[in-house]
Amino acid sequence: MNYAMVKRLILKDWYFQRWAILGYLAAGALAVFLVGQGGEGSFYAGSILLLTVLITVGIHLPMTTVINERKEQTLAFVMSLPISAKEYTTAKILANVLILLIPWTAITLGSLTVIAGRAALPGGLIPLGAVVLTEILVGSCLLLAVALVSESLGWTIGAMVFANLFFQGFLYYVSHIPSIAATMKSPTAVWSSAAVTLLLAEIGAIALLLGLTFFFQSRKTDFI
Amino acid sequence: MTGLAVHFEGVGKQYPHFTLDDIHLELPTGSIMGFIGPNGAGKSTTIRILMGLVHQDRGAVRVLGHAMPAQQAEAKRELGFASEDLRLYGAATLAWHMAFIRSIYPSWDAAYAESLLQRFDLKASQKIKGLSHGQRVKAALLLILARRPRLLVLDEPTTGLDPVARHEVLGELMAVLADERRTILFSSQNTLDVEQISDQITFIDRGRIIDSGDKESFLERWRRVRLEVPPGVVLPSLPGIVGSSSSGRLAVVTTDRYDPAIAAAFQDAGATVHAVDTMTLEEIFIANVRNRRDGLAA
Repeated sequence: MNYAMVKRLILKDWYFQRWAILGYLAAGALAVFLVGQGGEGSFYAGSILLLTVLITVGIHLPMTTVINERKEQTLAFVMSLPISAKEYTTAKILANVLILLIPWTAITLGSLTVIAGRAALPGGLIPLGAVVLTEILVGSCLLLAVALVSESLGWTIGAMVFANLFFQGFLYYVSHIPSIAATMKSPTAVWSSAAVTLLLAEIGAIALLLGLTFFFQSRKTDFI
Repeated sequence: MTGLAVHFEGVGKQYPHFTLDDIHLELPTGSIMGFIGPNGAGKSTTIRILMGLVHQDRGAVRVLGHAMPAQQAEAKRELGFASEDLRLYGAATLAWHMAFIRSIYPSWDAAYAESLLQRFDLKASQKIKGLSHGQRVKAALLLILARRPRLLVLDEPTTGLDPVARHEVLGELMAVLADERRTILFSSQNTLDVEQISDQITFIDRGRIIDSGDKESFLERWRRVRLEVPPGVVLPSLPGIVGSSSSGRLAVVTTDRYDPAIAAAFQDAGATVHAVDTMTLEEIFIANVRNRRDGLAA
């Protein structure tokens, strides 16, 4: 594995995404600010903005770094460089995950810290928030996997529709799990076994999706 | 095998509506091969296999001594590739691309890059999306030439260029050829471009290589014999005749193995040889393709 080349490709993707990520961070900061205001209206508006920002950045990255690279025919330029298909896949997965983790980590930690620090907001929301925001990360990894393996705008849009519908169902499901629902309004975070299991399952799903992406990419015979 | 920059042996690739079949290709180090074929002939597929971008179903490919596609990263360190469908990043400047390539290739020649900027009349500070098609082609060419690759693979690089830009691009390629260690594979539908710079010619049609050899031998071997054939005279069937047509008493015979004995044989049969014409590469290419297609149809 040529790590120097992988690093250059990651930095190349970061170079093209840096302003967009700064924009997402600014929008995320606004969302966290609204969440922290304590009022019901601003909490609702902040939550919606927060989810929207995280979902959007998860769509934006695979669309621009993978699908557009093929659509705008810059993939041939990248693949003409001294890299193997495996190194290209590694670079794309790492670039997407690392760049995505910048706003995701900042916004997730910011919002959970605000919830924990504000007396007006119940700490019981923290496990629910962690599970829900991690699910968005799973959805983003699904989009990345589909975009890389299919290189198709249609399939990626299909995956996006699926991920968003799944997220709506997941929100409903999680907020109705008795052990999570019962502790949602408690003043401190209660990490029920259901919440921990869901978090672990989400981390497992991310690992599985990225592993499957490597597997399918390694079987690919046409890269342009 | 050390004398070959590119070696294809029995290479095949199957698609639902196209098959690249049994490709044998040898490109000696230091030579310039013109790779000619009509649209959909398999030029780009062959080049993509050469680059490791498409994996062959069967056969072996070696590029600069590296087995493809397994060792494509090693091969691509010494290889420059420009293609009609290769684009640079529109949102970045040419200077960014130059810095990016320089960070990858230690062989980057900054002075040569600067001279190419001037010769191609390009501005490094300009974003790629603001360049014309011709400027984009020249920018892509600058990025590969300035890293001084041992092998240049150019897939229809002059397609869509205006005559001035084409002249500049071909001129720079001619200058590159001064380095005898440099090997070039140049695919094009434009036989004039190929004729200008190549010393080896390979014709491909419908997924098969139909002829390959050095340019001078092609131009030497192929002739068009113009005859007058009196009534009752039957032209003898001779080896190397690949096509013939007639209109009244006048006949034109095309041969890919011209020998003065052919003209003598026609005269002995009672025909009058008016002229033995040389053929352009384009005429040879068309005659070659027609001959093969007629052979397949028969």
